[in-house]
Amino acid sequence: MPLSVSLSIEGDTTVIELTGELDAKTAPEFHQTIEKAAGHGTSTVEIRMAGVGYMASAGLRSLVFAQQKVADHVTIKVVGAIEPVSRTIRTAGLDRSILLTDG
Amino acid sequence: MVELARKPCVLEVPATVGALGDIAAFVLRLAGRAGLGKRATYRIRLAVDELATNIVMHGYRGGDGRITVRGCSGPDGVRIVIEDTAPAFDPVEGRLPPAIGIPPQRRRVGGLGIHLALTSVDAYHYARRDSRNISTLTVKAEGTDPCPPRP
Repeated sequence: MPLSVSLSIEGDTTVIELTGELDAKTAPEFHQTIEKAAGHGTSTVEIRMAGVGYMASAGLRSLVFAQQKVADHVTIKVVGAIEPVSRTIRTAGLDRSILLTDG
Repeated sequence: MVELARKPCVLEVPATVGALGDIAAFVLRLAGRAGLGKRATYRIRLAVDELATNIVMHGYRGGDGRITVRGCSGPDGVRIVIEDTAPAFDPVEGRLPPAIGIPPQRRRVGGLGIHLALTSVDAYHYARRDSRNISTLTVKAEGTDPCPPRP
């Protein structure tokens, strides 16, 4: 299943909305969007993942990449991830630095 | 012990990123045939996807190669065997657990796929035979081990 990625700005938040499946084939598109988002200079990058039904480690790499691209003071939020996706994020320990919320 | 049908289903694909979708569809069909619940289905799909991705990216390193996936399903779960002819690689030896204590800004990007695969299944076995890497993964039906121990 392909991945749909959209990018918008809401106040001081850059919003990335993902729908579909995030794996080795589709993650490069997410990667490119993260680079654009990092250039916006907002204080928060919110990644809405309620529409992501599957995420492999390629998605985790994208999240680590996001943290490395944004400035130290920028908060990264992952919003609405389904349980197996949020479990994958926790397994990698990324919930220590990324704010995981239900949405 | 997972009781499974004796005759396996077989899929052989080129070792390319484009073929990973075919492998996922194959695994999902087997999981459906076994009546696996959503969590168990997700776990076996994730594990096979990660190991197959690793074979494509690091095993054959972009060169020509094939991946053979055999699957058996039964009322107790699904067993998948993945074979490739890339250089020998034992995922249990080569796994890299997440460096949780290291800030993300200084983390190595990558290396988590094998860890995810091995922590997603109920049983895992690696063998090297006849110049082939052979990984055997088993996921039991829902309600047995919702969060399996690490192998």
